[in-house]
Amino acid sequence: MQSFFATPFGTLVFTVGAILVIMVPVLIGVAYLTYAERKVLAAMQLRRGPNIVGPFGLFQPFADAIKLMMKETIVPTGSNRVLFLMAPMLTFALALIAWAVIPFGEGLVLADINVGVLYLFAISSLGVYGIIIAGWASNSKYAFLGALRSAAQMVSYEVSIGFVIITVLLCVGSLNLSEVVMAQQGLWFAIPLFPMFVVFFISALAETNRAPFDLPEGESEIVAGFFVEYSSMSFALFFLGEYANMILMSAMTTILFLGGWLPPFDIAPFTWLPGPIWFVLKICLCLFVFLWVRATFPRYRYDQLMRLGWKVFLPFSLLWVVLTAAVLMAFGWLPGQA
Amino acid sequence: MGVMDRTMRGFFLSELVSGMALTLRYFFKPKVTINYPYEKGPISPRFKGEHALRRYPNGEERCIACKLCEAVCPAQAITIEAEPRDDGSRRTTRYDIDMTKCIYCGLCEEACPVDAIVEGPNFEFSTETREELLYNKDRLLANGDRWEAEIASRLAADAPYR
Amino acid sequence: MPKLTVDGIEVEVPAGTTVLQACEAAGKEIPRFCYHERLSIAGNCRMCLVELEKAPKPIASCAYPVADNMVIHTDTPGVKAARRGVMEFLLINHPLDCPICDQGGECDLQDQAVGYGFDHSRYEENKRAVKDKNLGPLIKTAMTRCIHCTRCVRFATEVAGVAELGATGRGEAMEIGTYVEHALTSELSGNMIDLCPVGALTSKPYAFVARPWELSRTDGIDATDAVGSNIRIDSRGPQVLRILPRLNEAVNEEWISDKTRFSNDGLTRRRLDKPWIREGGKLRPASWNEAFAAIAARTKGLAGDRIAALAGDMVDVEAMAALRDLMAALGSGNIDCRQDGARIDASRRDFYLFNTTIAGIEQADAALLIGTNPRREAAVLNARLRKRSLAGRFPIGLVGEGADLTYPYAHLGDGPAALAALLDGSSPFLEALKGASHPMVIIGQGAIARPDGAAVLAAAWTIAREIGALGAAWHGFNMLHMAAGRVGALDIGFLPHGGGRDRDGILAGAGNGEIDLVWLLGADEIPMDRLGRAFVVYQGHHGDAGAKRADVILPGAAYVEKDGTWVSTEGRVQRAARAVFPPGEAREDWAIIRAASAALGHALPYGDIAGVRARAEALGAGRLDAPLGGGCIDQGGPSGDPRMLGTEAFAAPVTDYYRTDAIGRASPTMAACAASVAPTSAVAAE
Repeated sequence: MQSFFATPFGTLVFTVGAILVIMVPVLIGVAYLTYAERKVLAAMQLRRGPNIVGPFGLFQPFADAIKLMMKETIVPTGSNRVLFLMAPMLTFALALIAWAVIPFGEGLVLADINVGVLYLFAISSLGVYGIIIAGWASNSKYAFLGALRSAAQMVSYEVSIGFVIITVLLCVGSLNLSEVVMAQQGLWFAIPLFPMFVVFFISALAETNRAPFDLPEGESEIVAGFFVEYSSMSFALFFLGEYANMILMSAMTTILFLGGWLPPFDIAPFTWLPGPIWFVLKICLCLFVFLWVRATFPRYRYDQLMRLGWKVFLPFSLLWVVLTAAVLMAFGWLPGQA
Repeated sequence: MGVMDRTMRGFFLSELVSGMALTLRYFFKPKVTINYPYEKGPISPRFKGEHALRRYPNGEERCIACKLCEAVCPAQAITIEAEPRDDGSRRTTRYDIDMTKCIYCGLCEEACPVDAIVEGPNFEFSTETREELLYNKDRLLANGDRWEAEIASRLAADAPYR
Repeated sequence: MPKLTVDGIEVEVPAGTTVLQACEAAGKEIPRFCYHERLSIAGNCRMCLVELEKAPKPIASCAYPVADNMVIHTDTPGVKAARRGVMEFLLINHPLDCPICDQGGECDLQDQAVGYGFDHSRYEENKRAVKDKNLGPLIKTAMTRCIHCTRCVRFATEVAGVAELGATGRGEAMEIGTYVEHALTSELSGNMIDLCPVGALTSKPYAFVARPWELSRTDGIDATDAVGSNIRIDSRGPQVLRILPRLNEAVNEEWISDKTRFSNDGLTRRRLDKPWIREGGKLRPASWNEAFAAIAARTKGLAGDRIAALAGDMVDVEAMAALRDLMAALGSGNIDCRQDGARIDASRRDFYLFNTTIAGIEQADAALLIGTNPRREAAVLNARLRKRSLAGRFPIGLVGEGADLTYPYAHLGDGPAALAALLDGSSPFLEALKGASHPMVIIGQGAIARPDGAAVLAAAWTIAREIGALGAAWHGFNMLHMAAGRVGALDIGFLPHGGGRDRDGILAGAGNGEIDLVWLLGADEIPMDRLGRAFVVYQGHHGDAGAKRADVILPGAAYVEKDGTWVSTEGRVQRAARAVFPPGEAREDWAIIRAASAALGHALPYGDIAGVRARAEALGAGRLDAPLGGGCIDQGGPSGDPRMLGTEAFAAPVTDYYRTDAIGRASPTMAACAASVAPTSAVAAE
């Protein structure tokens, strides 16, 4: 058996299998994230949310999926056809390939590469291309405005995300995500680096175009922003991509600050649960906060958004990089130095 | 509020936290919506729903074509044409309500001297085409026949307050 | 002139007026049901109670003559209480059926109950119920609603001159009705509907059709006879629902004839709503262009004297002016407006006008009717004659067919012989005429629409001159027309000119092939069988005789469907506004002629109604503000020779009063009326 997986064909089969094992739960998670979002928003607005399709409305995501698939894909006359159809595929693909480096448990990672953090960072930055292409190819002023906003917003917040990650890396001493997790045995980074944790989370909201940073789609101002011209499956791919990105950013938050698959305390009742379960639970917590924030805060104005990114988060995170580095140096806590 | 105070509030995100605390409180509150198609809220006897033309118990239609409802209708949704029936009584030959124009103010009901046109308890009469909402006399009389029991009890319940 | 004080306002009114009129002069409105200024005073509704100082109890103001130094109060609590009491009594037996009553919305009782009524009844006994009466096909009765004001009785007796209505019984048993059940024989009976202050008498054809607030009102001019009655046309959407009189003291006061009032249902029946062309002996629907092309094909290369035009009775001045111009452009002088062949001398306007004017009748003190039955030919004018007759000292002589004219007259003979007797001074009635200071002679169309018509006309003029009716301040020669369009046509010279043929000439020419094309502008009253093989263009609004004979039909507008000008028999120029649009593809007549003129290659030089009117004025149409009446400037008579009188008796031109025109013939109501009077007239003939 072992020898089969050692053959090139066996490796291919194994890899495809592993990809499926990751992708299918992620996609189901995306589906139920939409359901959860509607339920949570409804609850916070004293409503009930979807409750007709299936028990507690649990089949609602599938009903939505079928509806979207049944619809006609409309390609606007003035659009660039190839790019118009490519953009949602790009967004969706990028949202999925990032999962290759996410460690679900000890050793449970598809590609345990040494530059996992950089890989993730690169992939999430590429996400803006899908949006830019969609906005440009639609040949619509709303879509284009949305795309421009999205680009400017992502560029702005990636800077502070970068500094936050540097802070974490300073504490870990490795770019390997599994090692980032292992470095948090004993103390999650969320506690010593709490301000960075908050900055990271807020930047993650901006990075995924979520409320209160959902200016690229801003229904009330620019209709639906960059995907205003999309329908049917091309729209569904954007939709899936956005929610997959949310889960991905939650996973990143979990890995960088909440100790990945590690139980909160390394004592009996907590250790009974296996690591992947803890990982998923933490992701769910992050996602809940995503939804909670959406239910609570109104959308930023665009100038406020830029001010927050450039005038608050950037200097603040820069300061913390310097501060963390100084503390680590001063006390000799730099990893690998001891 | 001093500068310091304001800065500290901003720094510790106290507004954000209190806002989120509020939404979280609401998250656990009992929900106010009802499970609409399966359960329905109570309806007042004065509820103004779908129109109906009533009949007398002997089957004679009540409407006498006085046209007061047509005159009072602020949306001009009612169209009536009348002529003497074979027995000489005053009856409508046409009684149309354009339900797409109707604003459900109930003035037609108030104006009617014989309680012929009433707005019944039914509010579930959506249609797939616009034309189906152009009610004619047959449709209204059929409504009256279907809802007569409820309409009569509603009128009886509301009678002491009129 | 007594002076009195009404609510502190001092007014001076002529002696003999009533307190009610004095109150009105002071600007105080007095509620009333039975009082009507054109009827005698009854004083039986008691609604007009006012307080007179020093009088022990409220007085009925409508029946109380004014006296000097009276002090009247119209709005004291006592007056209000008295009127409330009266109203409560009136409402005791009045049914609460306003929702099904046609008077609802325009009901005097309803309106005044708002002011003086209680919101509930104290009356617990049974209300009385009265059996409805059958008053014929026009008036619907609901006698339970009657409040016994007796306006209808007084109208029938005094104005209409038929004492057919009356009250039977007393007290609660009082009922209004015809003593023996029969249809009313008056041609003014419709006015009772307007007079009835409640819904006891309502219009039968209009029963349950509409409410007053649904109707749009248009001021119009009646074209069913030549009186030019002022009417209000009530329409809803594309349909004229009813016609009501409009007050004009100089013309119709506030009456209109039943034909005017009830023939409106003919406007929606048998209408021509698209052009038709006869192909292979059958008419087929066509487009306007096809119709014009068919006419153009026919007129191409046709000499002007082979073309003729006849104008009908209801046509407006504008259309006739346009057609006259078109015919002139085609080189034809063969035009005539006298469908009945009346020998009218149009060389002077007073030869064909009712010069005395209708209001002037009241100043006349003797009248001679020649070959006319005004009751049938101009019912409203006849009411004026009756009014004058009732006022006393008004001898009337009639030469012609005897009939019940609703007032007494001396029947001088049936035909020209009686005229000859008047001419040679052997008639005893001449004394009465000569003794009058304002005598009038009324000559009807029946007297001149005959071969010796010109002689009769000249004889009538001569008689008028002999009896002194042609004074410098008094013009007593009157021609009574029946066609609303006739005087206007005569004014603009819609008559043969330039050697053209008149009506008889046109018919003869068409019969023997000398005329190839005849344009009938609403002309239905000519013998169509005499048109021979001529190509007939019928322009009109109803599928009547003309349309039946036509080779091309151009659908025109009826009188309520166009902005038009009509000139009444007294020469009064009146303009009506369009009340409804013509049905289907039908258009206003002048516009049809204008379009046809372009298709025939002789485009008329005007494109709007103002242009047509300017042209009509240039042709001689009177102005709207032209003064009427006045004396006779030139006593020279019309062209006929009074010695050439024939011997045949004057025949009445109106045999079927209700169906004299295409609209009336299409109207079911008029048919019902004709059917209802048919047996009575048969009895009268015996």
